Amino acid sequence: MDSTTPATAGGFEPRITAFVCNWCTYTGADLAGTSRLQMASNVRIIRLPCTGRIDPMFITKAFERGADGIIVSGCHPADCHYNAGNYHARRRFAIFRELMDFLGVDPSRITFSWVSASEGAKWRDVVNDAVTRVRALGPFTAYRNMVVVQATAPKSSSPEHAGEGEGLPMQSLAADGVAPGASKEVTA
Amino acid sequence: MTELRELARRLLSEGTVNAVLGWEEGPRGARPAFVTTPDGADRLIFDHRCVHNLASYLSPRRPHLKRLGKVAMVLKPCDARAVAGLIRETQVPRENVVLIGVRCGGVVTDPDSDATLSEATVADRCRGCPDREGKLADHTVGTAGPGFPGPSHRAQKIEELAAKPADQRWAFWQAELEKCVRCHACRQVCPMCFCDRCLADKTQPRWIESSPHARGNMAWHVARAMHLAGRCVDCGECERVCPQGIPLGLITRKIASVVAERYDFRPSDDPAVPAPVGTYRMDDPQEFIL
Amino acid sequence: MSTTTFIRTGDLKGLVADLRAAGVGVAGPARTSDGAVDYRSITAFDDVVLDAQPRNSLKQFFLPPTEPLFKYQRKGSDVAILEISATFPPRVIVGARPCDAAAVDVLDHVMNWDYKDEPWFGRREATTIVTFACPGGDRSCFCTAVGLGPDATRGSDLLLVPAGDGYYVEVVTEKGKRLVDAYPKRFGAGAGVDATLSYREKARASVEGHVPARPDVIRQWVQEHFEDPFWADISLRCHGCGGCAAACPTCHCFDIVDEPETLTEGTRRRNWDTCQTSVFTAHASGHNPRADQCGRCRQRVNHKFAIYPARFNDILCTGCGRCARTCPAGQDVTEILNRIVAMATGQGGAA
Ligand code: SF4
Ligand code: SF4
Ligand code: SF4
Ligand code: SF4
Ligand code: SF4
Repeated sequence: MDSTTPATAGGFEPRITAFVCNWCTYTGADLAGTSRLQMASNVRIIRLPCTGRIDPMFITKAFERGADGIIVSGCHPADCHYNAGNYHARRRFAIFRELMDFLGVDPSRITFSWVSASEGAKWRDVVNDAVTRVRALGPFTAYRNMVVVQATAPKSSSPEHAGEGEGLPMQSLAADGVAPGASKEVTA
Repeated sequence: MTELRELARRLLSEGTVNAVLGWEEGPRGARPAFVTTPDGADRLIFDHRCVHNLASYLSPRRPHLKRLGKVAMVLKPCDARAVAGLIRETQVPRENVVLIGVRCGGVVTDPDSDATLSEATVADRCRGCPDREGKLADHTVGTAGPGFPGPSHRAQKIEELAAKPADQRWAFWQAELEKCVRCHACRQVCPMCFCDRCLADKTQPRWIESSPHARGNMAWHVARAMHLAGRCVDCGECERVCPQGIPLGLITRKIASVVAERYDFRPSDDPAVPAPVGTYRMDDPQEFIL
Repeated sequence: MSTTTFIRTGDLKGLVADLRAAGVGVAGPARTSDGAVDYRSITAFDDVVLDAQPRNSLKQFFLPPTEPLFKYQRKGSDVAILEISATFPPRVIVGARPCDAAAVDVLDHVMNWDYKDEPWFGRREATTIVTFACPGGDRSCFCTAVGLGPDATRGSDLLLVPAGDGYYVEVVTEKGKRLVDAYPKRFGAGAGVDATLSYREKARASVEGHVPARPDVIRQWVQEHFEDPFWADISLRCHGCGGCAAACPTCHCFDIVDEPETLTEGTRRRNWDTCQTSVFTAHASGHNPRADQCGRCRQRVNHKFAIYPARFNDILCTGCGRCARTCPAGQDVTEILNRIVAMATGQGGAA
């Protein structure tokens, strides 16, 4: 599928958060813009000084707040403005990727790339590629809906299900009015 | 045991140290001991129930132990890996502590266990442990058991999990992490968790929600795993103390194997070996980067 | 209330089935996936494990580890509060231990002190506690030292004691009576109180003597020895992990947090907290009145055996021994209390 094609009405459009370094990828993305390259518009860019400044918690927070996919991108090896930030990031994210995979998060939701200031076209390809992949995976509701508290929800359970969870531990027990299988803590 | 007690007595009576940290018989099995008089040395024990990693008490996050003054610490070979980590990360000046190594043939998991040490009762971390005695110690005492070759049950479980589809792994960890009550006992007891103010306790910004719900627990366990990557010495303390029985060792061991495979690093008791995170090689593999 | 009745084991199974069929949630001590026994939801009486003290206590049924209180929405400079109207469906806990049932009653004081805690009492009223007289504890149990015992009825609605082919039933409260009255066919004539005596005595004998029943002595010593080196001594081994407080049926401190979910919306929650951590008392200025673990270990003993008694004339400990069982460093409340009694009565006590 050509990811630059606008999705059909009602189709899923992923929200993608990109954490990029100031010196290479941000400038590269800027170049893609000024060169009027066509690319998917699903990406929100957050600019940081260096990939070495990108903490894995940024990624979990983005997933918590509704991101369906993530891009982390910075200077190619040997090009880091601070000499070694990207080398440190490379180790950190290699481990992070394996961790998320082990915890059951599909690692293809997270894209890593080196995009230099002159690689506007590569940025376009990275973006289009990530959008296509995440669009196919669907919305990441599993992550952002781990906890749902509704103030004005319809009654979500009958007393029969009250305080029960099928083999679930104490929180489920203690959360009143939760139907098994429903998101936790949807309280009527 | 006599050798250990005599050495501790000598260090205390000669004034080399003010206190000896070791193990003693408590009301519920073996437990950490803080011996401050030469006579107290007779309380010291070492056997297969001495599971605790006493290196935690050397962490700078134990200000209440400062008043003991200079200490000697009894340590198993695996505990020595933690002390080496603390030295490597400049948390403990080597000359500030006298290290008494005990030769080891493995421990059980519960310090209050009646079980004898056997293939069935030995702690998983001891399966395949290569060290019968550490190299870091100033003194080494005792006799080593034969040790246990393996295989590690956790390694098998990790492989099983890894072979499953991602959504099943997700479901497995959701069910496990949901149990977490965020007591942070896993952090408090960890010899390598020595930050004065943990990221999990910070509120501005709040990267890790303090609530023990699935979302907060996920963030906590991701942060914990990342912060211990290449630093965890697989002492098993976190899993032992977890009041909810969460198999934390699966995560720490999984990350340890990633670090071993990618960066050829295994925790050792040599403080001079650089930690794998915080260092790098220009030619590190980057197959996952576009 | 002091009526008694009898329930046969078969009828007990039937009762749990009846309750579930009537849409009542049933919980009790049952095996978890990691092999431990926890109080948790059960589907049948056969799930219940009675010969081990559960790892957790009953407190999470009334004070969950995390609980949403309300949602908030910011609109410009205004904040709108959105209620979460909690419902508390009926629930029966089958197989509580007397120390755990009593703990809930002990906590009623503080939950109805300067403010009536609505979720706590909402769940209290919706929950019927069916306690089983304890078969006896291990060396860390000391319920008899705090005015309770393996067959104490405090906090229970019904107390069941094994006798003959079933259980002798003491109806302790009105709520307990309502449960009996609702299922009259399940209860009936059977062994009398005499048939329970040897069970009770054996259980009591297994606990007595672990700690002297001298709560007033303990209270007075603790009140008068705030600066005693004893506290620094016992704190050495403590990691400040709070495992003891998490496991304790009577530790009830909570933290209140606002959790933003979007830029304008969030949830206020209360979460379990514990005085064993340094951040519990940390001030925004950086000052911490409990500078190290010494003050924190003292606080736990002080609150339970002196402060709470002074305020409510009740001990904030039911002698369940969980703190000793769970402590990764071998801190042991029975040892601490024994040393205090020994020091207070002039029989030494230094380690
Ligand atoms: S890991 Fe090794 S040194 Fe540590 S307790 Fe086991 S056998 Fe002993
Ligand atoms: S010790 Fe267990 S329950 Fe406590 S924070 Fe760690 S994982 Fe969670
Ligand atoms: S993470 Fe667990 S196993 Fe690793 S060093 Fe810390 S306490 Fe030991
Ligand atoms: S202080 Fe210890 S013995 Fe007392 S109620 Fe709490 S856990 Fe049980
Ligand atoms: S469980 Fe033990 S080590 Fe942890 S805070 Fe309580 S007394 Fe201290």
